[in-house]
Amino acid sequence: MFTPGSKFFLGLTGFSIAVCVLYIALVDNATGGAVALLSIATASGLVAGLSLFNRDGEVSVGDTAAPAGAEQLTSSMWPLIATVGFVGVVAGLITHPIVFFLGLIALLAAGTEWLIQSWSEGASSDKAYNASLRGRMLHPLEFPVLALVGLGIIILSFSRVMLAVSRDAGAIIFIVAGAVVLFAGSVFALKPSLKKTLVVGICVASAVGVAASGIAAASNGLRDDLVKAKKEHHFSHKECGEEEGEHFDHLAEGTISMRSNPIATVELRDGKLTARELGVDKVTQTITFPRSNDATIIFRNKDEREARLTAYLGTKAVQDGVVEEVLNCTQMIGIDHEQALTFKIAKPSMASEKPYTLTVPGLEGQSIEIMVP
Amino acid sequence: MSAKTRRIVAGVSGLAATSFLAGCAKDAPQDTWQPKGSNAKIIDDLQQPVFAIAGVVGVIVFCVVVYCIIKFRDRGQAMPEQTHGKPALEIGMTILPALILAGVGVFTFRTVFDLSKTSDTQMVVNVTGQQWWWEYDYPAQPELGITAPIITSGQMVIPVGTKVLLRETSRDVIHSYWIPALNGKRDAVPGRVHTLRLDADKPGIYAGQCTEFCGLSHANMRMETIALSKEDFAAWVANQLADAKSPAENTLAKEGEAVFLNQCVRCHQVNGLKKADGTPAIAAPDENVWSGVAPNLTHLMSRNTFAGASWDLLNKKCRADVWGASSETVGKKYLAGVSEECLNQTDLRRWLRNAPAMKPMYADPTQLTPTNGKYRGMPNLGLSEDDIDKLVAYLSTLK
Repeated sequence: MFTPGSKFFLGLTGFSIAVCVLYIALVDNATGGAVALLSIATASGLVAGLSLFNRDGEVSVGDTAAPAGAEQLTSSMWPLIATVGFVGVVAGLITHPIVFFLGLIALLAAGTEWLIQSWSEGASSDKAYNASLRGRMLHPLEFPVLALVGLGIIILSFSRVMLAVSRDAGAIIFIVAGAVVLFAGSVFALKPSLKKTLVVGICVASAVGVAASGIAAASNGLRDDLVKAKKEHHFSHKECGEEEGEHFDHLAEGTISMRSNPIATVELRDGKLTARELGVDKVTQTITFPRSNDATIIFRNKDEREARLTAYLGTKAVQDGVVEEVLNCTQMIGIDHEQALTFKIAKPSMASEKPYTLTVPGLEGQSIEIMVP
Repeated sequence: MSAKTRRIVAGVSGLAATSFLAGCAKDAPQDTWQPKGSNAKIIDDLQQPVFAIAGVVGVIVFCVVVYCIIKFRDRGQAMPEQTHGKPALEIGMTILPALILAGVGVFTFRTVFDLSKTSDTQMVVNVTGQQWWWEYDYPAQPELGITAPIITSGQMVIPVGTKVLLRETSRDVIHSYWIPALNGKRDAVPGRVHTLRLDADKPGIYAGQCTEFCGLSHANMRMETIALSKEDFAAWVANQLADAKSPAENTLAKEGEAVFLNQCVRCHQVNGLKKADGTPAIAAPDENVWSGVAPNLTHLMSRNTFAGASWDLLNKKCRADVWGASSETVGKKYLAGVSEECLNQTDLRRWLRNAPAMKPMYADPTQLTPTNGKYRGMPNLGLSEDDIDKLVAYLSTLK
């Protein structure tokens, strides 16, 4: 009466309900967990009903399959991995959370695989059918996870390489790698007669090469300017005067995401600083800035020299009786270039002794007042 | 007709009649079918014919379906001949809806572009949503008499017949600003500034509601737009630009000011309020509230509502008088503010006694770990009845 698939899901439904009852009985504030468990029970109950209704989608095979349990079981690596996972969980409790979570992932993955493999091997006496049953259950999980892990390793390895080599070398490696991938992909597409083992061999060798390069690059460390930046808290000490910046990301002006919806645009042209607020079709010397809310201003340099926009955002106490100005600024912007400046002001203008302003260092008598209501 | 069929027919008829009659409700301030501003009328001009077209198509489809159900119901007849496709019918049934949708699409696009026009804006208001109230700040606009920024909440006041540009954003989650009588809705998104234009033909109070689910008290995040004549608006601006005056010495309100300084000024700003040492009292909501702000209360009693415009500051009688006023008299009645006789003391006291009990908020001090100890909403301050008496007396002076 019950098909193999429906047995599994009915079992899962019953198990989830039982765990839910225990969970509610034993755990305080169990609402979230109970909802999750009941959701699993509901979903698996629904799938059980569907499996039962359509006879696992394969009526002929299911009906003609021999009784379960007649075939020997195959060997399995999952008990071993589950043991490693369990040890990881226990060891992680006294060493490091990462060990705990890796162990937990291994334990859950091994448990799932082991459970479904054991169940599928008892589904019928037809070994091929059992294997296909296991595949139908697990391949939708296994393939995306393995693909993610594989891609993750390659991306991580490649990024380590890019962080280790110089900027120029990085650009060359990126171009060459892209060209090689394009070339290989084109050859594989145009020559379908190529041996499968050759294609697989090339792909595996390339992946291993990238991973090995990544390990080597990671052990070699970051390139010099990144090491310096890391020591200096990742560019947090910005130069906001007239000096040439050393510590900025010099491609910051291309940060499109920050520029998507600025509250105002500030423009430097012919030695004059003006502002234009979003939605208002006139220039102004005062912009209204929302209090306690991150907002973005675009600085556009139309002058005949490099310039940066510096925002004076009040003062802060650094120690007893000592206050320092809070400044934020763009990098030095080239002619006809622009850059976004995002900041937040928590206090209204009336709380500041001096008005909040936007200025260009070295340019006297020009400023935009930031009014915070 | 059997008794069972009669019961089903009666039930369905009752449901249909109820739905139909619901459209006749008179007290429906958020009715999208009664536009009171030019942009709302642009939307109405589109939705009326589209609704008519959709209605006609819907009725035709419904009638055909019912006809087929009755005409071809199973009466034991033989299975009719099965055919595969009828190209002329299929092509016709594809082209006809496509033409209808293309026609509707042309007018829809035109409406969208009309609504996005901002070049002839006459006034700007920055509108910021946070859980669960709206803040309005008016940048200085000397041509409108706004010589310094004005900040208020809950109720936005605009001059009648003036094209007002709202620049919307949010401090925490996504909200959506919607005054149905004046325009469509527009999301307020953290980190972005969205524009929405509206204007009102006549003076009046136009109600709205946050229309993007934004957390526990989304249903209690309301707002009103008050349209006043230009003279009344000028009077409102003049009042809003003034600082609050300190109550006279030896009064209950003066004692309330002390309670306010002790308890409320941590989050709520009252412009002009001074500490005991004579320095201005500056609120620091960014240190206590997750969104970083709390409503500015300088002119609390010039508004009709509080707590996200969900409760009235006016008692029932006075509220009915203001909200039911004609367009000629609503301005004067609104500008009169909340007098002592009209103050809805019951709700205000309940709010001061235990705000989270009135409006669900994340204000349990034991459960603020996810927000680094900061509240989302107003907590229960544990005020004594004596303190509440004093605070109510003080708040009543904030005209």
